[in-house]
Amino acid sequence: MKKALLVIMIIALAVSAFAMGAKEATGTAPAGAAPIKIGATWPLADITGKQGSMAAQQAVDEINAAGGVLGRKLELIVVDDELKADKGAAAIEKLVTVDNVDLLIGGMASGVALGQIPVMKKYAKVVISTGAASYKVEEGLGAEADWYFHLHPWDYNQGQSYADGWEAIQKKFGNVKIQKIFLAYEEGAFGKASFDASKTLFGGRYTFDGAPFKSAAFGGGDYASVLEAAKKYGPDLFLWAGYDADALPMLEQAKAMKFNPGIYLGAPPGWPADFGKSPLAENVMLYGMWAPSINGVSPASKKFYDGFMAKYNTEPATYFAPLSYSAVYIAADAIKRAGSTDTAALIKALAATNYASPLGQTITFTPSNIIKHQGVKNQKILQWQKGRQEVIWPFESATAAPVYPFPAWK
Amino acid sequence: MANKRNAAIFAALIVAAVAGILVWRPTVIIYGLQAAGLYASIAIPMGLILGIVHIVNLAHGEFMMVAAYLTYMVCTALGIDPFVAMIPVALVTALVGFIVYKLTIRQALKAPELNQLILTFGLAISLTQLANLLFTSQTRKMSFGYVSASLSIGELSFGVYNFVFVAIAVLMVIGLRLFLTRTTAGKAALAVGQNPKGAAIVGIDVDKTYGLVFALATGMVGMMGAIFITRSSIFPAVGSPFTMKSFCLIAMAGIGNIPGILGASVLLGISENFLKAFRETRGWADIVFFVLIITVILGRSIKGKKA
Repeated sequence: MKKALLVIMIIALAVSAFAMGAKEATGTAPAGAAPIKIGATWPLADITGKQGSMAAQQAVDEINAAGGVLGRKLELIVVDDELKADKGAAAIEKLVTVDNVDLLIGGMASGVALGQIPVMKKYAKVVISTGAASYKVEEGLGAEADWYFHLHPWDYNQGQSYADGWEAIQKKFGNVKIQKIFLAYEEGAFGKASFDASKTLFGGRYTFDGAPFKSAAFGGGDYASVLEAAKKYGPDLFLWAGYDADALPMLEQAKAMKFNPGIYLGAPPGWPADFGKSPLAENVMLYGMWAPSINGVSPASKKFYDGFMAKYNTEPATYFAPLSYSAVYIAADAIKRAGSTDTAALIKALAATNYASPLGQTITFTPSNIIKHQGVKNQKILQWQKGRQEVIWPFESATAAPVYPFPAWK
Repeated sequence: MANKRNAAIFAALIVAAVAGILVWRPTVIIYGLQAAGLYASIAIPMGLILGIVHIVNLAHGEFMMVAAYLTYMVCTALGIDPFVAMIPVALVTALVGFIVYKLTIRQALKAPELNQLILTFGLAISLTQLANLLFTSQTRKMSFGYVSASLSIGELSFGVYNFVFVAIAVLMVIGLRLFLTRTTAGKAALAVGQNPKGAAIVGIDVDKTYGLVFALATGMVGMMGAIFITRSSIFPAVGSPFTMKSFCLIAMAGIGNIPGILGASVLLGISENFLKAFRETRGWADIVFFVLIITVILGRSIKGKKA
């Protein structure tokens, strides 16, 4: 009898200790209130999706530590889309029907987004998308998809911002002269689309040409012929559209071939680890949305960066991290202003978003070519200087002046 | 007599074509040979396994990827050059290859070929996913000044570093020839490759020989993985395209024909770069690859039928 009593007491103690521990772990939000569920899909094996989900969790933890939203905790449920359209669609179905999420965030590849659109349309849940640059996604959504809030710029937004950027740089810095542009593009869909878009965009204003190469990401990695064509063309701006695996090997071959364009610019979705540490990276320009150097001009960027470093002890390597972090904050702010997670109220609140993001710019939603709610519409022009990505343009978030021309190889 | 004359005319035509290309567009030959060196030095170890163990190792490129990551870790931790790290890395990869052989390949040697393919394909996927878990998909690349070594002749400037792969491929062919013809283990391997049952009857330990050959080949591809990181970025999926390319080169050369892999690689490398020299045909490099394979295999079949 005594033994049984002792066992019951131990169990009771253990249960209360567990409950206390659980209460501590859940922060200051009331324990009884059901959490607000945010469903998310990213490609978790890819650095963009991995860090995107990490940054979103960071934002959720920060918000919960500050008391949650409407007295409720936020809960992030992430499903891996594996960079596959069918998996991405199944992930949305699961998040909506099994997990009963209140809204959806995330996304990276346009191909996956295209696969998700029918399911998203079926449930018409609020979506804050962090990826999908292709205009085809916008066409798939249609003008009636008022529940779709797109943070990432569309491909035509990006192209236009590059054209604007180069015009502005040439005006401000008299020594920068661009007449001839050469685009080396990977021979897949991404590179071909970049070539077509760039030809349309730059073809009228500049003399433009390009040549394809097989990316190292798909078993290529020999850039000699494309660099030879570029060298023969003699461009003022040499731009390559490929993947991170191409970044350093292409520079090494350009150096070996003594190819010296006025501007050497790369536009991969991400950069290799420690690219900035390579001496070859110095003065290479790039397109992007965020860099740690923005911490110097944006308190929101610094808060995000410091929090990410403290939580994960690794540096955010792609702009998908601050973009995903922003998605959670934008959602939380809208829920707070809407006073509920009701879809109609949430759409109305999201449409009125005015969020000073870590990207160094304030995010609002305005119409794009088709959809009603487009967030960021511009990219930035950056340059690797002393191992750091410095923002060259737009000038309001610039962290350094451009180094021009690209110095001759030694 | 007629055959000899035909062969002489064919050789003269090839020499004339090469000389013509060299004068017209020297980079076709330069970059073609460099590409051939890389293709051959990765394909030769696979050819060794296929020729002697008679198994298509679909995890071939993944062994190279594992070695590349191993080299990356060793070089970044100790600050040494991949050319220094390649010896210990090759030894470790050879050991891993031997263990993999004993634990998996050996069990499937008598199984149908499809099972062997599925087994090595499974190994390839496992290694890729393991690398993904450990290193993520973010690419890594070490910078070495010598990789950009350049030679200028008149107005032409080109990289010379990639000729190192030509040297490695030639050394592999010579080294394997010496091993297979001058050493006891090599002669045993050759005998096992030609007739495993006959070799067993005369007292050769077939299983031990298979293990040794598998370890040797994985060691060689491990060494290639170490040198590969000097020119290329590494990421978990970096090896798989080279598996397919290697297999196709072996098919072109004929199974068991190690020097033939070198020849097939030269043909492929020069053909690819020849097409890349023209604006209109730059994107055809992959097509020429398959056209060559189909032509060579078809030609061999027709010749075989006639004979």
